[in-house]
Amino acid sequence: MTARMADFHTSWIEAPKLERLMDLENGRMSRLVFQHGGLYEQELERIFARCWLFVAHDSQIPKAGDYITTYMGQDNVIIVRQKDGSVKGFLNSCPHRGNKVCFADAGNARQFICNYHGWSFAIDGRLKGMHASEAFDSTGFDPAGHGLHPVAQIDSYRGLIFATLDPHAPPLAEYLGDMRYYLDAVFDMDGEGTEFVGGCVKSVIRCNWKLAAENFVGDALHAGWTHDSGARAMVGEGVGELHKNPQQSYQVNFNGHGWEFNQDIIGNCASLGDKELVKYLYALQPHVAGRLDEFRSRMIGSISSCTLFPNTSFLPGQNTFRTWHPRGPQEIEVHIWTFVNKSAPPDIKERWRKGSMLTFSPSGVFEMDDGENWEYATRTNEGYLTRQQDLYIGLGGNTRVYDTGLPGNVHQGQVNEANQRAFYQRWLDLMGSASWAEVPQRDVPAEASV
Amino acid sequence: MSQSVLEINKNDLSPEGVSRFESALGPIAVYELDGAYYATQDGCTHARASLSEGEILDGELIECPVHGGTFHIPSGRAVGFPCKTPLRTYKVSDAGATLRIDLECEAAAACVRGETHVHGA
Repeated sequence: MTARMADFHTSWIEAPKLERLMDLENGRMSRLVFQHGGLYEQELERIFARCWLFVAHDSQIPKAGDYITTYMGQDNVIIVRQKDGSVKGFLNSCPHRGNKVCFADAGNARQFICNYHGWSFAIDGRLKGMHASEAFDSTGFDPAGHGLHPVAQIDSYRGLIFATLDPHAPPLAEYLGDMRYYLDAVFDMDGEGTEFVGGCVKSVIRCNWKLAAENFVGDALHAGWTHDSGARAMVGEGVGELHKNPQQSYQVNFNGHGWEFNQDIIGNCASLGDKELVKYLYALQPHVAGRLDEFRSRMIGSISSCTLFPNTSFLPGQNTFRTWHPRGPQEIEVHIWTFVNKSAPPDIKERWRKGSMLTFSPSGVFEMDDGENWEYATRTNEGYLTRQQDLYIGLGGNTRVYDTGLPGNVHQGQVNEANQRAFYQRWLDLMGSASWAEVPQRDVPAEASV
Repeated sequence: MSQSVLEINKNDLSPEGVSRFESALGPIAVYELDGAYYATQDGCTHARASLSEGEILDGELIECPVHGGTFHIPSGRAVGFPCKTPLRTYKVSDAGATLRIDLECEAAAACVRGETHVHGA
């Protein structure tokens, strides 16, 4: 972009005023963060155009020219495998007159050709040629410098490919930080890695994106109430009383990422109602204990959930993986996949695909419960007086523990709102900072997990 | 050797089936299709593009790497959108280890110059 055009930007709400939205030490937060259009525009810049966002799984694009299209915030991007095996990402918009250049969700391409004026882009983003090239030649047009706009950085961890639109973002390893230690428990159980099976299931929920993200970052509390009927439908009994056994469960967070979990090995998996999957995890658990450690081997399918800040979430054991793409302050487009261990037998992979569809597709027994809650937690704030009322987010205010030896900020008891508070603290830190250099360094990766 | 004949070594042909050579008339694309040899101009007639960077489809079509248009290799006929003007073809003689490309003579199968043939338009 030329400097003259880059200078045109909106004035944002800066830190001192933003801080009035959160009083996390006292367990309070404003509802305006779910409703305010100006804050949403600021999120697009300071959260979604800045953070590392999940864009693809390695297994979706194995061969050169394989691509998927997805979103980074509201920016549509093409993620494409290169001839040298690396991965590149580009804005899915022609730099000539702005039309979308790739209309498919996934496929294999030798080039991307814009429908409008026939500009043709190589899989490395370079402008290869144009319709009526002689006319451009006669005006001295140089195709160099007119390629698809690349994402600023792209990298992967354990097969999960992330990209950022900010050239100044810290490396992915640092961004994920201590969460890598826990990610290994699910995405590196046996050294063979994971893959996505089946396609991508999409749906729209009329909720603010943060309500979905905060649910997966730490809300074990809702399971026993919201999902009681769903659990009875799937396995004939309700969700266990998680809050009565806090000694065997935790919340950990790192720079806004969060994972709530217990140590029951198979609790999430059991909710799919398929004993073969439970047997598979029980058989695998000793091997994971040998490879990683006993503690993490008891997380492989336990009652748990995780959000990687800002909008990527998954459930171990139920094996649903999703991104919550924002569509304004009051709507999200949810993209859902099923992940499995690459080394699992075909029958086991198929059982997980079915199980995750029964529970966490748009018509899944658990997904539907959540969607209605999040929609009404969003829509009530359309009320002028309602949106002035702040909300409680103070559960587990005294649960931080320091003697576990575990990386990250560790809290005892998964029925807790410590991770949600850390999520909103990170949100506040990013929203109030004009650049990465200004973002407060609250959490630094532990040596052991680097 | 005459300026009007380009002699090339078969060992210099790409295993991909299409190769680019420089000639007195500009770049030439030389094709090997199931043991038979053909030559055409290398530049696409639609827009600036090198056909030798394209792919051979259905055994006898060259697909332009820029817009995906296609030509029939033996005749030079324009087959698929957006190509309309046929390719100049050149007569190729197999001389054992080498190929002799006659820059002054069209291939025997060359289509009538100026013919347009667009599928699916």
